[in-house]
Amino acid sequence: MQEQRGQDRTVIGVYHLTRRYGDRVALEDVSLTVANGEFVFVVGPSGAGKSTLLRMIYMEEAPDEGQVVVGEFVSTRMKRRHVPLLRRRVGIVFQDFKLLDDRDVFENVAIAMRITGAGGFEIRRRVNQVLGQVGLFHKRHDMPHALSGGEQQRVAIARALVNHPAILLADEPTGNLDPDATDDILRLLFRINSAGTAVLMATHDHEMVRNFGQRILHLRDGRLYEDERTGLVGNLNDRLEAIRTERERSRRVREEIRRHRLDAVAAAGEPAPAGPLFDPLPGAPGAADEEETS
Amino acid sequence: MIWRKAVYLMQEAVRTLSRHRGITTMSVVIMSLSLLMLAVFLLATDNVLRVVERAQRDMKVYVYLEDGVGDAAVRELTAAIAGMPEVQTVVFVSRDEALADFRRQLGDDADLLEALAENPLPDGFQVTPRVENRNRDDMAYLAGRIMQLGGVAEVRYGREFLDRFASIVRGVYYADVIVGFIVILSAVFIISNAVRLTVISRRRTIEILRLVGATNRFIMAPFVMEGALQGGLAALTSLGLLFGVTVVSRRVLPDLAFFTADKAALYVATCVAMGSMGSFTALRRYLRVR
Repeated sequence: MQEQRGQDRTVIGVYHLTRRYGDRVALEDVSLTVANGEFVFVVGPSGAGKSTLLRMIYMEEAPDEGQVVVGEFVSTRMKRRHVPLLRRRVGIVFQDFKLLDDRDVFENVAIAMRITGAGGFEIRRRVNQVLGQVGLFHKRHDMPHALSGGEQQRVAIARALVNHPAILLADEPTGNLDPDATDDILRLLFRINSAGTAVLMATHDHEMVRNFGQRILHLRDGRLYEDERTGLVGNLNDRLEAIRTERERSRRVREEIRRHRLDAVAAAGEPAPAGPLFDPLPGAPGAADEEETS
Repeated sequence: MIWRKAVYLMQEAVRTLSRHRGITTMSVVIMSLSLLMLAVFLLATDNVLRVVERAQRDMKVYVYLEDGVGDAAVRELTAAIAGMPEVQTVVFVSRDEALADFRRQLGDDADLLEALAENPLPDGFQVTPRVENRNRDDMAYLAGRIMQLGGVAEVRYGREFLDRFASIVRGVYYADVIVGFIVILSAVFIISNAVRLTVISRRRTIEILRLVGATNRFIMAPFVMEGALQGGLAALTSLGLLFGVTVVSRRVLPDLAFFTADKAALYVATCVAMGSMGSFTALRRYLRVR
C-alpha cells in the first residue's frame, strides 16, 4: 500500500451515527473509520443495520444524529444535489447486481462513465480495461441474462470501479452466489484492494470471512460491538469469551471430522487418501460431505 | 461535453421509446383520444367565433336622410360623420343608387318595382365603423350621435341582430371556460398518468442511474424528451382524426372550417409542452424521495 498524504488517510469516517425508523433503532451511536486502501468486513445477522450503515455512507439516507464523511463530502454540510458527485467517488455493489437487463455488458459498465460526460474514446478505453480486470472482456457484448450469477456480479464490480473510486462498498455481494462464485468474487475484491482501493463489504456470514485475516466489524441490533483488529469497541471480557467458545467449538468440529474420516478409511480398508490441503472449514460444503459419507 | 451528453440523451429517448413500444403506443393512443376531445371543442369554438367575426366584419350603420336635403347639406353631413372617431368610411348612397341596388337584390322579381310610380327610397349614407368599434355598445353610441345631426331621418345598425350575437358570443365564452377547463384538466390527468406508467416501468433503470451517480437532470432528460415526443405524436394523431371527422361533417355543415396552419402548429406546440411538463412533474415527484 503506498504512503498517502497525511490528511487523506481516512476514506470514510462515521461519527456517532444514529438512525431510527419510527420506534425501531436501526443504528445507534456507531462510529468507525476506514483508511485509504483498507479492507473491512462488516458482519452481522440480517436486520442488524449493515445495509442501513452502507446506505448512509453513500448518502441514500440521512442520519438522525451524527455525521458521515466520505472524502471531501460531509453529510451534515453537503447539498442534496451533490450526492451524485459523491456516488461517482464510491463504487457500490449489491447482492442482486442491479444491472440494466436491456443493455449488454459493455453498456452496463459504460453507463457509469456516460453520466459524467466522458468521451467515447475514453469510455471505450477504460471500460475495456476494467472488463479485462474482472475477466469479462471476451463477454463484453453479451446480455446480462446470458451470464452466470458470478459473472453478473463481476460486471457490477467493473461498473463500480470504472470511475476510479476511492472506496468500493459491497452489500452482501456473494449473497446470491454458489460457493465457487463466492470464492471468485472474494478473490477479485482482494485483488482490487491490493491495487489500492479500499473495500467495505457487508455480510451475514462470519464463518466465510473470519479466516481471511482482514479487519472485521460486528454489527448487532444496530450497535457496533466488536472490532477484531483494534479491539476498541465493545466489552473486552465478552469479546474474549466469545473468541474462546468459538475456538473451542471449531476445534471440536475439526476433531469430529478427522475421526469420521479415519473411520471411513478403516471401513473401506484402503490407505488414507491424500486429504485436502487445509482442514475444511466447519460448516463448509466439504465438511458436510465428509459427514454424509460416514 | 454538453453536446455529447445531449446526443446520448436523445439516443436514449428514441431507444427507450422504441424498446417500450407497447407502453408508448398505449399512452400515445390514450393521449390522442383525450386530446381529440380537446381538439373537437377547440374547433367548434373556432368555427362559432369565425362566423361571429365574419358577421361583425360586415356590420354597417345605415343613415337615412329626410327628403329634400340639398347637396351642400349632404357634403356637410358627410364631413361631420367622417369626422367621428369610430368611423372608418362614409359612402353616400343616393335614392337612385339605392333603388338600383334593391332591384339587383330582387333579381327576377324586379318587375314588382315597375308598379311604383316613383322611387320610395330616401337618400342615405352607408357608414363603416372601425374594426375595433364594430360591437354593440360602440355602434349604439355612434348611431345616437349621428341621429342628432340635422337632416337625419333614421339610423339603423341591426340592433336585434347584434344583441343576439352578443349572447351567442357570451355563451360560447362561458362554454369555453367551463368545458375547456374540464377537458384540459382531464387531458393533463390522463397524460401524467400515462407518463407515470412509463416511469414505473423503468423504476429499476432510474434506481441504477441514481446509484452510479447520475444527476436528476441527466435522469429526467430522456423522459422529458419522450414526453415531448409523445405529446407531439398524440397531437398529430388527434389532429388527423379530427380532420377526418371534419371532412365527414362537411356533408351536413358545408362551411365547417379546419384549423388554420398557425393554429394547428400552436396546438401541436402546446401538446408538446404538455407532454414534457407531464413527464417532468411525474418524475420530480418520483425523484424527490431520497
